[in-house]
Amino acid sequence: MKILSIIIKDFKTILSDKQAIIITMLMPLILMTILSMALKGSFIGSDDLKVEKINIAVVKKYNENNDNAVFEKSMKERLGIDFDSIEVNPEKIFFKDFLESDKVSELLSYIVEEENEAIKLLNEGRVSAVVVLPDKFIYDMKINLLTPFRNNVNIKVLTHADKTVAGEIVKSVMNSYINSMSSIIIGKNVLIESVSANDLGESGFDNMEDIMEGMSSLMEGINVDIEKAIVEGKRSVNSAEYYTVAMMSMFILFAAGQGGRMLLEEKDNQTYQRMIIADITKTHVLAGKFFTVFLIASIQIIIMILFSYFALKVRWTDFSMVFLLSITSAFAVAGLGIFIGSLTYKMGNYKLANTFENVIIQIMALLGGSFFPVDLLPEIVQKFSFLSLNGVALKGFLKIILGYSLADISENILILAVTGALLTILGIIIFSKEESANVKHSKITSVKA
Amino acid sequence: MLKVENLYKNYGNIRAVDGISFEVKRGEVFGLLGPNGAGKSTTISIISTLIPPTKGEIIFEGESIFKNPKNIRQKLGVVPQDIALYPTLSGYENLRFWGNLYGLKGQELKQRINETADIIGLHERLKDKVEKYSGGMKRRLNIGAALLHMPELLIMDEPTVGIDPQSRSHILDTVLKLNDRGITIIYTTHYMEEAENLCSRICIMDEGKIIASGTQQELVELVKEKTQINIKLDSINESIIDGLKNIPGIIDAKIDEDIIILYGENGDILLAQIIAKVSEHKNRIRSIDVKKPNLEAVFLHLTGKALRD
Repeated sequence: MKILSIIIKDFKTILSDKQAIIITMLMPLILMTILSMALKGSFIGSDDLKVEKINIAVVKKYNENNDNAVFEKSMKERLGIDFDSIEVNPEKIFFKDFLESDKVSELLSYIVEEENEAIKLLNEGRVSAVVVLPDKFIYDMKINLLTPFRNNVNIKVLTHADKTVAGEIVKSVMNSYINSMSSIIIGKNVLIESVSANDLGESGFDNMEDIMEGMSSLMEGINVDIEKAIVEGKRSVNSAEYYTVAMMSMFILFAAGQGGRMLLEEKDNQTYQRMIIADITKTHVLAGKFFTVFLIASIQIIIMILFSYFALKVRWTDFSMVFLLSITSAFAVAGLGIFIGSLTYKMGNYKLANTFENVIIQIMALLGGSFFPVDLLPEIVQKFSFLSLNGVALKGFLKIILGYSLADISENILILAVTGALLTILGIIIFSKEESANVKHSKITSVKA
Repeated sequence: MLKVENLYKNYGNIRAVDGISFEVKRGEVFGLLGPNGAGKSTTISIISTLIPPTKGEIIFEGESIFKNPKNIRQKLGVVPQDIALYPTLSGYENLRFWGNLYGLKGQELKQRINETADIIGLHERLKDKVEKYSGGMKRRLNIGAALLHMPELLIMDEPTVGIDPQSRSHILDTVLKLNDRGITIIYTTHYMEEAENLCSRICIMDEGKIIASGTQQELVELVKEKTQINIKLDSINESIIDGLKNIPGIIDAKIDEDIIILYGENGDILLAQIIAKVSEHKNRIRSIDVKKPNLEAVFLHLTGKALRD
């Protein structure tokens, strides 16, 4: 009853603060609407749940015939082996076996263009990226695939500034290609070493054809790892879906910020002391603050989910999972609020709470992907994204939108629950160590003890 | 009702309360008088169970408040020196919240709020937000929040600081009204007039110690020989000063710029003789001010400094 009274009072106090309402409730709705509209083109998701293909242009900077001729001549001279009979075609591997494979062709559709034309298409936004296959691509790939030697092959991906996510997906797809080729090259090297070790001579290279014949099936086995770009997508998210969860996971942190001020405000207002005199324990006070933050975060989530559902047509797929993740997110935020609140109380000023609201939330938002997808950040920065509660919540909510199962989001739920519990415990320890009242005294002029 | 025994409170190497002892009797208005920093608020914080003492004991109704704080908390109302309210909530919401914390609810709570609003005279403005109240209204609501649960002992820590004379007068009336209803009151102030008007017994504190205690009469007794008469004359010379000094009953005389300050036993009797003496010297009185012994004088007498220093 007493805790409930504290919650109701705190809630009314917050509701009476128009600025707080604007920041915590209204601002995220405005931002999620603006961002989802403004960045529509940057996301590959579409409203009919089908993956929209990304158009790319491929530039061939090599000369196939020339490369083949140079390769054969070079091999005869250096190794004394005639590769003429071995049918290995890097161009076929790249275009037919890779780009036209079922999985990749679901995502990308390509045209081959001259470099200038390709860049023009990119600048006009008609393609999302340009993939440049370098000079001597065929020669270098054959060296890599058929000989013990290894040459660098630098495939360049040029992306459009307004289509960063699509660009990242293309980069990710190209990385998958390179990774798969590396696996094949390693397999080849093992074979060559075995041939040398067993002194099988030229006859050993007969098996090379078998390896290359298996190339097509290997290519089919390539898992196009676009998880990072579109968050482990079973389908892609559109900008409305992304920025709904991005803003939601960021703005619930402001509830923690409000919670961070509450304890010290009570002390400064002398209402905390009055509560202690009314036989309200520290546990009551702390529990009241915890549930107040929890309630604010929960209401924020409910409002944002309803708004996104009706106004932005976001499909939440499974509301029972949304409920579960929302509760856990609000719990983690409440724990964070108690932790900051206790530290702020201990410090006796609002520097920490202010820093949290003005700096730390922004950093967490950046690291967690609330401003833009984490994969667009430098890799070194990405490594710190685990520090952001909003990032964990964001990924969880996106997974739900993408149709993942409860098991798939269990890690997110667990991280949020454990973090929330740990922060709450830390907050309780810090607060309980403080002298009960810290009464504000008038200037003491008394004698030294 | 309440017995404070040999109470000490140190903050680091600063001693805020220095071995004080006093007793508050049921039904009285007990005054703690002293300048800012005398240790009054610290003493009250300890009695209110907000902070533990460094040493000492406080017995409330025969039981140590440190061993069983619940007992005193249930029967205690505290009006803090600062406005301990929620400014963005209405007066009614504030009272309801504090009532809830004391376990009041439903019809009983409504009735108590109404009664309290009557006592503090804020019925008409209860629906307004506290931030819109004047300083005096806030002070009155601050008192009201401590009354909802009908405390037996009410501690009021300088409840009239920084308000207009009208609100101050209203609050002082309220204190007397509450005392009439049987509530025992501990009243701290550095305004000696408030202590004189309200308190049946007074403790004067300075630098953490009780320097005097008793009824107002008993305290004034300490300095009764020193009625102070300040006279401004047209001109001051040696002969008039000697003449005034020689009036029987005048103990001491000194000059402070253009004012002659005389000390004597009974101001009323001395006044006539002083006027006669001035006429005798063909001088003229421009102003005369008789200061009867009061708590200010007691404090000055005991500490050598003014109460508001």
